Amino acid sequence: MPKPLVDFGNKPMILHQIEALKDAGVTEVVLAINHQQPEVMLNFVKEYEKKLDIKITFSQETEPLGTAGPLALARDKLVDESGKPFFVLNSDVICEYPLLEMIEFHKIHGAEASIMVTKVDDPSEYGVVVMEETTSRVESFVEKPLHYVGNKINAGIYLLNPSVLDRIELRRTSIEKEIFPKIASEKKLYAMLLPGFWMDIGQPKDYITGQRLYLDSLRKKSLQELVTGDHIVGNVLVDESVVIGEGCLIGPDVVIGPGCVIGSGVRLFGCTVMRGVRIKEHACISNSIVGWDSTVGRWARVFNRTVLGKDVHVADAEVYSSGTVI
Amino acid sequence: MSEEKVVAVIMVGGPTKGTRFRPLSFNTPKPLIPLAGQPMIHHPISACKKISNLAQIFLIGFYEEREFALYVSSISSELKIPVRYLKEDKPHGSAGALYYFRDRIMEEKPSHVFLLNCDVCCSFPLQDILDAHRRYGGVGTMLVIKVSAEAASQFGELIADPDTKELLHYTEKPETFVSDLINCGVYVFTSDIFKAIEGVYEQMRETSSNYQISNHFLSATRSVPADFVRLDQDILSPLAGKKQLYTYENKDFWEQIKTPGKSLKCSELYLSQFHQTSPHLLASGDSTNKKPMIVGDVYIHPSVKIHPTAKIGPNVSISANVRVGPGVRLISCIILDDVEIKDNAVVINAIIGWKSSIGRWSRVQASGDYNERLGISILGEAVTVEDEVAVVGSIVLQNKTLNVSVQDDIIL
Repeated sequence: MPKPLVDFGNKPMILHQIEALKDAGVTEVVLAINHQQPEVMLNFVKEYEKKLDIKITFSQETEPLGTAGPLALARDKLVDESGKPFFVLNSDVICEYPLLEMIEFHKIHGAEASIMVTKVDDPSEYGVVVMEETTSRVESFVEKPLHYVGNKINAGIYLLNPSVLDRIELRRTSIEKEIFPKIASEKKLYAMLLPGFWMDIGQPKDYITGQRLYLDSLRKKSLQELVTGDHIVGNVLVDESVVIGEGCLIGPDVVIGPGCVIGSGVRLFGCTVMRGVRIKEHACISNSIVGWDSTVGRWARVFNRTVLGKDVHVADAEVYSSGTVI
Repeated sequence: MSEEKVVAVIMVGGPTKGTRFRPLSFNTPKPLIPLAGQPMIHHPISACKKISNLAQIFLIGFYEEREFALYVSSISSELKIPVRYLKEDKPHGSAGALYYFRDRIMEEKPSHVFLLNCDVCCSFPLQDILDAHRRYGGVGTMLVIKVSAEAASQFGELIADPDTKELLHYTEKPETFVSDLINCGVYVFTSDIFKAIEGVYEQMRETSSNYQISNHFLSATRSVPADFVRLDQDILSPLAGKKQLYTYENKDFWEQIKTPGKSLKCSELYLSQFHQTSPHLLASGDSTNKKPMIVGDVYIHPSVKIHPTAKIGPNVSISANVRVGPGVRLISCIILDDVEIKDNAVVINAIIGWKSSIGRWSRVQASGDYNERLGISILGEAVTVEDEVAVVGSIVLQNKTLNVSVQDDIIL
């Protein structure tokens, strides 16, 4: 299962981004993929093209092209006669996608490229973007700085003029290391501070933290999507096909996917239950991810950032802590 | 023909013994810690009750008298046989203690004296041993059992004549393999045993007086005090091969209760023995009629309240006034008095101390390997495990509240 199709908050990760793009007025989305697993993506595309009434096409690289090369590859699809700018999104990123605001920001400064930046507590893990405070113009990029140079990092969302494509050769190129620094030195790159939450959910533990932030923002923006009830605590998202037994305590920060069956007396918190999972009576799951079609036995315990992959069966009364089971 | 009376003596040890039973032994002497729903010492005592013409039972140890006062008076009235606790002023060794209290022990002029160790778990076929002893006509008969060759070196190994069953040779914890027959710690003696012990004392006094000149040197090298007489090394070993001591082979189970982990195993053995001796003590239920589902051998005190959705067993003993909530799962555990176990909690391979509280969806469990140091989880008295907390392979001292999970740890 390709990462962009993994569910997050009961929606494939990439769907969060496509929906946000549609809301911002985008009419065509190009998915830049590598040579693996095209069929699964194809089916996904067919399903959602119709549902969302948006055009989705592919650009498939045959050799690794880095983070900028794929843009050159997809050149024909990205550029039309209107010369309007195009968005570039990193599929591992989840945030509130203020794309309309970004379009405004880009118009106002009128330069060649805009990137979204987000504030983090520990910038030394990332690429830091050093900006001029009053104009929001980007001065430089520093990868994993040893000394403090700033606390804003690249959030993985860009809005670029077609002229950027002229800078990218069709070879393995890094947009952060080669392209952006060049544009910045020409004083044509600006950065917008991302409001709200941001999470790179490529890692399971970040997935769970991201889920919590996402549910929090759902509470503020579309409260009706969250469930309530005597057995629900805090922010909980449950697909309508889910069956929940008696005496359970669900939440806070729980997402349960379609077709799941939760037995009576079950405790869930801070966890993700993917589609088709069966959780038997009296089990307790916290801070973990239970993969598709898995079963968790009666009185079992899954906790402490455990990740159960697809179709894993946890026997009755077993304890699983802090590991990945496939 | 006068009725031949029999008395029994049970050695219970003292506070310096049973330290491996901490934290449970902090407030209760090891012999009074429950196994299969009854204090450890209750099992040998009930076995003694089955001997015909039993006149008295003596408990000998060096715990304070008040620790046993309550138990002794209640068991005396329950069995309708006098049970007395005799406190040693200092440890004398098993034979030494027997000799020290000989006047009390012989007060009803019994023809035979049983000697048992409290921390032995077995079927105690005492009447059979006595009958065999009468046939052999020696001064003593001891219960023996065959074990694996590797296990044998931890105990007293002995050689017995296969036909006459006489004890031919005895050594305690030998370094090389002697035999796979070991001493179970259960004996019966005629009153002549006291003469034999006296003989040993005289020898000891002679030896020490012969070395009077270098007496202080001698006492510095002696590892035990002057009047400490061990039964096995000092009495049995010298008498072996002299047609005085005989053996009776145990056909059932036998274990030493040295650690709490072992006590869980022994609890299991006693519970399964209830099928023959006292089947009314075993619980049953199939989650209908407001009773919980019971699997395997389980003892539940009549005052206990259990929700019908709980599942209990196998190998579970629950003491008085315990409350077990809905959806609880208990496997291989001992739950002591006044414990509260809340909804959906799980206890596996553990001993839960008096008055403790186990929160909702929480868990106390361990591997169950009683040879491992932390193979059984133990909660001391009044420990609180908060909701959703897991205690895995750990020992928790009394009065502690756990609000985070712990693993492979000893919590002070």
